[in-house]
Amino acid sequence: MPVVSTRGSILKGLLVEEAMRRQVIQLPHDASLDKCINKLIKFKVNALLATDETGCPVGVISKTDIVGAFYGGLSMADSRAMDIMNGPALACFPDDELGVALDLMRRNGVHQLLVQGAEPCAVIGTLSYPDVVALLYRYCRACSKGAVRQSELPDRCDRTQMLTVRDVMRTPVTACRQEDSLVRVIEELTDHRLGAVLIQDPQGMPAGVISKTDIIVAYHHGADLESEAQSIMKSPVASCDEHSLLSEAIRHMFLKDVQRLYAYSGDPSHIVGVLSLSDAAQSRSGSCRACETSRIITAP
Amino acid sequence: MFARDIMSPRFHTLSPAQSIAEAVKMFHTASMEEQKRIFGLMVIDEKDQLVGMLSMYDILLFVQPKHIHVWNEIEDLEAQAIFGELLDRVKSIRVSDIMTTNVVTVKPQTHVMVITDLMIKRHIRRLPVVEGKNVVGVVYISDLFYHMLNKFL
Repeated sequence: MPVVSTRGSILKGLLVEEAMRRQVIQLPHDASLDKCINKLIKFKVNALLATDETGCPVGVISKTDIVGAFYGGLSMADSRAMDIMNGPALACFPDDELGVALDLMRRNGVHQLLVQGAEPCAVIGTLSYPDVVALLYRYCRACSKGAVRQSELPDRCDRTQMLTVRDVMRTPVTACRQEDSLVRVIEELTDHRLGAVLIQDPQGMPAGVISKTDIIVAYHHGADLESEAQSIMKSPVASCDEHSLLSEAIRHMFLKDVQRLYAYSGDPSHIVGVLSLSDAAQSRSGSCRACETSRIITAP
Repeated sequence: MFARDIMSPRFHTLSPAQSIAEAVKMFHTASMEEQKRIFGLMVIDEKDQLVGMLSMYDILLFVQPKHIHVWNEIEDLEAQAIFGELLDRVKSIRVSDIMTTNVVTVKPQTHVMVITDLMIKRHIRRLPVVEGKNVVGVVYISDLFYHMLNKFL
């Protein structure tokens, strides 16, 4: 349980080591794409570390790279991690300030940083946007001004001070039709630099969601690029009202283990925005305006 | 004393294309038929070649929520209902998606001391015994344990 300081900002002075994940999923740079996908799915990570013969990091293979390999028609068995990886991998240190690390991620358009140890080849962890949100969510839960504590004292709860999904969500929502091909879905994901697209039925109603994970699972299962979106989409759509408290939405994402929620206005079929854990980290990851002025994370 | 002397020649297997639900059923069936808890199964492809291992650990690792440390601090949870929803996500996942692909194997003529060393150093509880390209048996740590410590029984 995090300890909330009563002095000034509760976010100030947070270090990478407090939010980082200490598990590093790695594999040799000559591993097949088949093995890369297996590790990405198995460990539910967004990227893998590729290492050379001496165990030193030489690059990163992300879900985006794998989606690109599928789109490019690469063979899973014959293509290697080194064929698609990006390097050198961006890294920070455990005693770096979290704000500095987040700036580095945002500037470079990456969703994950390696955390480097004292030795040049030692990677001791990873830092991603959801890890940051998870840490700050824990702080908010422990804070007397946070939504959780306030809800225990309803007569003192000031809802106007609470952030809502609407304050943070991203608009407009990118969507494909359920009869669109996977090629089209991948193009939408790539063009808009998204983690997922909404899938609509012929009436324009939300029918499901396809994420990059769904795409790489389909690739692993030998799906055809011309398959229809509805053949791999996940339904129902995980959603919430746009006026829901941000803290409740984040809690919902953690509990349901989903990366994003689609926000509706009144009617659940009327989707007006999308809130992802990355959005929450990049804009406002707390639950109320109490520490808004001292946020280490600023809107892009 | 060699692997062939203590291995179980009877074993249950999974295919890479099976769903996780089918794998869970196979764990249950194998445990019932073998009259002992089976914590891991070999994955054999259509050519009868070993392509991986799937353990209960692999399945639990996949099913559990990623941000488990946040769960630890949420007291008002109805875990059963939430877990039920999480299982729905597993439907599209196959054995090949989460199996361990780098499988350590031994040969029928591998000495039991080598097997003991492998199991201790690499925290392995079951070792496929492979002859040529085909699996001919499996050595469970319990078989090895009772064989090595038979004097105490």
